[in-house]
Amino acid sequence: MSAFWYYVFTLVFFLFDYFILAMGLNIQYGETGILNFAYIGFVAIGAYVTGAASLPNSAGTGQQYIMGWGLPFPFNLLLGGLVASAVAVLVALIALRRLRTDYLAMVLVSLSLVLYDVINNYVPLFNGADGLYNVPQPMAGIFHLTTNSFIPFFAVVTGLVALLMWFIMSRIMNSPLGRTFRAIRDDDGVAGALGKNPFGYKLTSMIIGAFYAGVGGGLIIQFGGSFNPTAWLPGETFVVFAVIIVGGVGNNVGMLVGALLVETLLIHLPAFLPEIPGHPGLIEYIDTMVVGVLLMVMLWFRPQGVVPERVRKSAGMLADRARGRGRQLTTASEGQGKSGE
Amino acid sequence: MSDNVTPTTGAPVYALQCQDLKKAFQGVLAVAGATFDVPQGQITALIGPNGAGKTTVVNLLSGMMPSDSGRMQLVGTDVTNWPSHKIARRGLMRSFQLSRELGGLTVLENLLVAPKHQAGESLFNIFFRPLAVRREERENVERALETLKTYGLYDLRDNRARELSGGQKKLLEIARAVMAQPKVLLLDEPMAGVNPALIDRIGEYILDLKASGVTVLMVEHNLNVVEKICDHVIVLAEGRTLATGKLSDLRANQDVVQAYLGEVINASTHG
Repeated sequence: MSAFWYYVFTLVFFLFDYFILAMGLNIQYGETGILNFAYIGFVAIGAYVTGAASLPNSAGTGQQYIMGWGLPFPFNLLLGGLVASAVAVLVALIALRRLRTDYLAMVLVSLSLVLYDVINNYVPLFNGADGLYNVPQPMAGIFHLTTNSFIPFFAVVTGLVALLMWFIMSRIMNSPLGRTFRAIRDDDGVAGALGKNPFGYKLTSMIIGAFYAGVGGGLIIQFGGSFNPTAWLPGETFVVFAVIIVGGVGNNVGMLVGALLVETLLIHLPAFLPEIPGHPGLIEYIDTMVVGVLLMVMLWFRPQGVVPERVRKSAGMLADRARGRGRQLTTASEGQGKSGE
Repeated sequence: MSDNVTPTTGAPVYALQCQDLKKAFQGVLAVAGATFDVPQGQITALIGPNGAGKTTVVNLLSGMMPSDSGRMQLVGTDVTNWPSHKIARRGLMRSFQLSRELGGLTVLENLLVAPKHQAGESLFNIFFRPLAVRREERENVERALETLKTYGLYDLRDNRARELSGGQKKLLEIARAVMAQPKVLLLDEPMAGVNPALIDRIGEYILDLKASGVTVLMVEHNLNVVEKICDHVIVLAEGRTLATGKLSDLRANQDVVQAYLGEVINASTHG
């Protein structure tokens, strides 16, 4: 495979992976209003758990880690998502029950830093600052994949996983559950006064979003074969926020557009561009600045994102169908109804 | 707290009962021992001068804030300091003094949030009982559209709620509460900032609710409205219950006239 296609499939992988990550953060922030500044921590948990579950027993590998079960794909990935969700329950119990918006965000940032320090310094857990490496390439043995052919293969697998997760997320967002999430986002006091338990629904949203984060992280470690603390500095959360704000909060199509514009074109594509003569490495430093500027521009001039949250016509369509069926029933009572303003 | 059971039927006489409710904010008593009963199936007005603690009482009754002391009963069940969602599930709905619509949702969606215990609010049902979810959703949509027709908001059903006028938001709040099929409805100044024509309509809607068996407790400053539609009046002053009864009787009560009615009558005479 030529270097060009290697680049292209690497970009495709990151497009779909960040699409998954963005959907997870979107249900927490865009749909339920939880300002989860610890999101990258859940990505890391998914990556480490998937990696440690895939690796063989640590004895003789030169690394220290828990598990080491040699778990195959997709069970390792599911485990990564489930453990991230379990951690989300703990975090929600600590942070979500009493805190709102800004205070909640501060507590979540702090929890993210604590998690970062624990994993970075407690070597027996996930090999400390060196992180996990030599993680087996999933299904490489079954399909006799080489290092080169694995990249397009796994980019396609990631695309299929993203498609499945998009389908699941769309079902949730278009259901009464999704509507209740948005009610809580708009005003959790009103939602409570309507009989909805805001904490319960926020907890559900945290669990779903963390599962997406865990799966996204699990795909990253399997694609690259390694994962260490430099990959999930707390600031990385803001890249995912940039994806959903640029793409359009509250809209799954916007998540894909945001992943394309921010993660693929601005973060990863520049790494493949030729160096600027006399300024080696400059491009890689500039891309973060460009993302920051883009974020500010979007917040100023188009806060709804490239693809804004749509007015939900599914309810409208149901309404029309209901109106058609119910016309005979309602005709008699129409004259009695008070006229509209 | 008075005996709350009809001797013949055993049904509660009072939909709401409060005894010695107290709430302080940074040492200042906003509610200083309010005690009153709200009769079942009637419209009761909660009146009093500004700062009397009316909205705080509504917030306490609906579980939006905990009381410091005192007891509350909702249709015979002690709901003292229950969270708002549990009280709502017991059948108490409310509107707000300053309209609090769910702005990002459409008008129709605002109503669709209200029904309790929806099958589609469970992840399990969404993926494993989709037909039951769809059937219930269709029924809710039909009922919501009927409610929107009744309240004159049908043509705005696909608009985002934040786009409505002040009066329309007041109607939306009442329609949303009605969609939840309440036993008791608390309305916090439903006529505030509303044009005179709409005031009459809202009055009619409230009378319709009473006719359908809903108990209404409304905070209201407009005494014409109170006189026209309310069966019973509770007067609050400085966080305490000053008097209860019919408005015509309360007009003769010197304490009430001094604390509130005199002020209102003077304002309307000189206004």
